[in-house]
Amino acid sequence: MAMIEVQNLTKRYRDRSAIEGLTFSVNEGEILGFLGPNGAGKSTTMKILTGFLPPSMGTAKVAGFDVFEQPLEVKRRIGYLPETPPLYPEMTVRGYLKFVAELKRVPGRGLKAEVNRVSGLAGLSDIMDRVIQNLSKGYKQRVGIAQALLGSPPVLILDEPTEGLDPSQRADVRSLIKELAGKHTLILSTHILPEVTMTCEKVLIINQGKMVAYDEIKKLTSVHGQAENVSLEEIFIKLTAA
Amino acid sequence: MRTALAIARKELSIYFTTPWAYAVFTAMVALSSFFFMGLLQSFQQAQEWAQAVGWNKLPPDLGAYRNLTDGVIVQLWGIVLIVTLFVAPFLSMRLFAEEKRNKTFELLMTTPVRPIELVLGKYLGGLGIISATLGLTILFPLILTAFGKSTSGAVLEWPTVLLGYGAVLLWGATCMAVGMFISSLTESQMVAALLTFVVLLPWMLLRGLAQGVEEPLRSFVNYMAFDSQLQNLIMGVLDLKALVFFFSVILFSLLLTHRSVEAQRWA
Repeated sequence: MAMIEVQNLTKRYRDRSAIEGLTFSVNEGEILGFLGPNGAGKSTTMKILTGFLPPSMGTAKVAGFDVFEQPLEVKRRIGYLPETPPLYPEMTVRGYLKFVAELKRVPGRGLKAEVNRVSGLAGLSDIMDRVIQNLSKGYKQRVGIAQALLGSPPVLILDEPTEGLDPSQRADVRSLIKELAGKHTLILSTHILPEVTMTCEKVLIINQGKMVAYDEIKKLTSVHGQAENVSLEEIFIKLTAA
Repeated sequence: MRTALAIARKELSIYFTTPWAYAVFTAMVALSSFFFMGLLQSFQQAQEWAQAVGWNKLPPDLGAYRNLTDGVIVQLWGIVLIVTLFVAPFLSMRLFAEEKRNKTFELLMTTPVRPIELVLGKYLGGLGIISATLGLTILFPLILTAFGKSTSGAVLEWPTVLLGYGAVLLWGATCMAVGMFISSLTESQMVAALLTFVVLLPWMLLRGLAQGVEEPLRSFVNYMAFDSQLQNLIMGVLDLKALVFFFSVILFSLLLTHRSVEAQRWA
């Protein structure tokens, strides 16, 4: 069953178009890697999928609900990490996660347990009572990830989740994402290519708002490479060099 | 509704963990104490003159100084209203503008929160902080009852004092509603504060403009002016028309804020 369905999605700002005619779908439990150079329209697509921005044309559906017609139903099913983690610098990690859990309507009785669950997953247990503005960039990013996991939504949309992390933290996040696969449907954007080969089954590459490739990684490598071991990096550069 | 309360609680906790709230409290108390002292001195002087020559020989505009309620508290409320006009924009400016600049607006808009809950939550938080700020001014009438003396009956007429105090709070609530709407239009807190001030001050003083225009318009302009609506209330006259007026301004501002938040979905 397709959890996310995107049809001919277009976003224009006056005469400039950020994305143009995107069509793709993600099945339940699948991980889609969303690739593209900076400014290609990855974040815009994600903002539309989460109901933050309206599309100019086309439709996007999450779990069968149109993001524009039934935004609340969609928002109930999505955990979203924007490109800048949406944190309140004055709050403690615990206070912040409690607040987001309330926004997501996590029932009062299970709230504490849920906050503890996601902070365990994101590796925040030791810093729960620290004020967010004093945290390192890596920890801030992880608080952002924890926030997206709250309420265990069926769909996760993560905009560059490994941004700002050091190599070992990055490995932690990758293994966390692999753990989440199967239980959640995931869209993951990044411009760090090895990340994609390690975590995703399918990739979607966009360049200047247009889709240039959309396939399973194995097939992409066999189509674009003469040699056996052509890397995703070479394909990416070739496709986005237009 | 639980979400709205969560938002209000978050708003208040952020006000009180930053120095902002305390700076505003200090400013409020310092300014009103300054004027309170001034009013007490004029009061004392008028009383001394009256004892020397009798009230009948004094100019009639000193008549207000016959008792502490009219001579000090009613006038103090008038000054607090003006101070509020300067202070409230600094409290309302961050309500939405800060969320937008901080990118946390994206969080509020992508979690299952209805725009109406967001607006109510924000406004409740705003009401909390303005009530705390203005609430401190009740100290002045309390000080007078503790230390004041009166030859006839109670020191203060509490019904008059409390109605005036209610008017001050209502005025604060109105400033916050207007300020919240303006804050929802911009990402910059400074722009929000300045614009709120630029809207509130002329609105307060509209009466000056009324002198120059012809009748039906003149009564309309007079009716719209904040200070003509507040005048009766702070003197202790329960004026239903004024209550309706202020509640309408608040409701209208909340509706506009709701529109402005909804508009995000259509941008």
